[in-house]
Amino acid sequence: MNRMGIKDKWQHFFHTVSHPADGYYWIRHQEKGSLWIAFLMVLLYGIVFSMNRISSSFIVNDIEPRTVNLPAELAGVILLYLILCVGNWSVTCLMDGEGRFKDILIAAGYALFPMMAATAAATAVSHLVAENEEAFYTLLIGLGTAYTVIMLVIGIMQVHNYTFGKTLITLFLTVVAMLIIIFLGLLVINFITQVYSFFRGIYMELIFRV
Amino acid sequence: MKQVKRILCLMLLACLAAGSACAADSLPYDCYNYDHWNNILYTPAPYVPDGLVSGATLRLEGTPVGAFRNPQDLCVSADGDVYIADTGNNRIVVLAPDLKTVRRIIAGFEAEGGTQTFNAPSGVALSEKHRLYIADSLNRRIVVLEPDGTFVKYVRDPQSEVLDEGYVFTPLRVSVDYADRVYVIAQNMFQGIMVFSGEGDFTGFFGTISVKISLWEKFWRKLATKEERSKQQLFIPTEFTGIDVDDEGFVYASSKDTDGLQAVRRLNPKGEDVIRKGPRGNLGGDRVFGSVGNYAGPSQIVDVVYRGHGAYSLLDSRRGRIFTYDHEGNLLYIFGGIGTQAGTFQTPAAIEKLGSSLLVLDSQQGNLTVFAETEYGALINRAVSLRFDGDESQAVPLWQEVLRLDEINELANTGIGKAYLSAGDNANAMLYLRRGMNREYYSVAFKRWRNERLRNNISLILSGVVAAAALAVLWVKAVRPAIRKKGKRRDPS
Repeated sequence: MNRMGIKDKWQHFFHTVSHPADGYYWIRHQEKGSLWIAFLMVLLYGIVFSMNRISSSFIVNDIEPRTVNLPAELAGVILLYLILCVGNWSVTCLMDGEGRFKDILIAAGYALFPMMAATAAATAVSHLVAENEEAFYTLLIGLGTAYTVIMLVIGIMQVHNYTFGKTLITLFLTVVAMLIIIFLGLLVINFITQVYSFFRGIYMELIFRV
Repeated sequence: MKQVKRILCLMLLACLAAGSACAADSLPYDCYNYDHWNNILYTPAPYVPDGLVSGATLRLEGTPVGAFRNPQDLCVSADGDVYIADTGNNRIVVLAPDLKTVRRIIAGFEAEGGTQTFNAPSGVALSEKHRLYIADSLNRRIVVLEPDGTFVKYVRDPQSEVLDEGYVFTPLRVSVDYADRVYVIAQNMFQGIMVFSGEGDFTGFFGTISVKISLWEKFWRKLATKEERSKQQLFIPTEFTGIDVDDEGFVYASSKDTDGLQAVRRLNPKGEDVIRKGPRGNLGGDRVFGSVGNYAGPSQIVDVVYRGHGAYSLLDSRRGRIFTYDHEGNLLYIFGGIGTQAGTFQTPAAIEKLGSSLLVLDSQQGNLTVFAETEYGALINRAVSLRFDGDESQAVPLWQEVLRLDEINELANTGIGKAYLSAGDNANAMLYLRRGMNREYYSVAFKRWRNERLRNNISLILSGVVAAAALAVLWVKAVRPAIRKKGKRRDPS
């Protein structure tokens, strides 16, 4: 198998967006996907998400500008992406999924492109619509989101070589796995905080008394 | 020498400026309003305390009046006389508009062949015929007196099938409309305001607040046994707390709303609520409040006063605040607080207006606080009443003045934005309406602005489209084939 150049990777990325079933197949079987492009898409989506919150027009936007926080929203998007991939990986490992963790990362990252593009376009369109015309804006975002969901389902299906039904079951279990991961994460953070405050308490006691 | 003088002058000026800043800061309460996202925005003071009236300092023809005991209600006559129901002393004290002279004290009246006295009179009202209506609570009656104090009639013993057997009529608050119909809030009467005709007959209930039971509570009550149910909290409609009648005969009635969403109703003659709840759908006083501690929970509205031109003020006993709304339900300003300094209350019980001032009666401290309108308050009041009367363009200079004092005032920005909109200046209208967070009118301005831009630049846009199409055709027909040919020639494989 010959190494592909970055130009070919980009070409294959756009091929995957327009022909998800075919594109994802070759990502799994011929290393045609790029992790860096996937990560870039996640990053771009995070930025576009924040952009949409702060700079879509007053007509469609009821978000308090002071609550928009790019680093926090970026971190949220990245965290959710990672939890989704880890959750899917943990489930598909047990359910005869053929995909590697890398493939899942690429599949989910590539799938974000339509939502990202649609949100960016909708943010621009929002400056052209008046009240009662918001349908254009919501339709754009809705279509983008729907296409992302379709891409994600096809991606999981192709990467793991599943049937459609099994993909849906896996996706449901993935959500459950994500909730478990979040729960355990919060638990661990809580424990760490308690241990930290315990040692901090000892330290404070020492410096005040000794 | 000249320089020294100048420095001294500057220092003096600085002191004066600091002094006036202190005066504004020395108010014993916060003045604020909520913005579109329910953030608290501090505003200049709309009203400042301007005197305190307590019975101990008053004299009637040389004899001291004595401190008020647990006064519950007050009303103001057309000439500005203030009637205070001094509940604990069983009398009505009448003050002249200057609030220093006592006109008279009504402690009793001649009726049924003898001198009658009051027993805990806790509500007073005046009719358009200047008759005085007194809710004589523990005597279970409403006493109607002529302006000179002669007895007219009683309103008592309501007779009706809808009332329980042995019902005891304990009137707490009373109000009268232009047709002499009497509206009474009675103790433990959960069915609504009691209405009596001009002849004094009980005609029915008015403005009943329906009980809200959530699906979840219904579900639990289904599960519970009869015994358990009997121990549960009863679902009782909220009682009304205060009442006022506006110029058109609509009744404003306040109540303590446990959800903090709607504490006042505007009842039409059929008893239906026709109040406008504003862009936030909230007429419950404070929109943001804590959940723990003395000052936690939604505002407890104990009285309402109709301020004229569609505006009305609510009195909150929980945090001692006064909320003023316009006829559309926009919150205009908030001031007041709990405390012991002049201008704050312990247990505020009733609110009335006297000219441009507001009077608040504190039942625990037994005094009357006078609040004087400031420039800020007066500007808002006048602008709002002009808008209510339909003279929005005249309100614009007032709104501009308001913005000078409080540049983020949403109502002022909206008012100016609307004026720009009707003047055809769409760009400025958009700017101000956005600051005023008025999406509806912003959209109208935006649509006009957009269509205007489209019309003015239509030739440019169309030529752009044509040029783009031409370029696309050129690319597909000529440039792309040429590039492909070149590529093939260079790469023979």
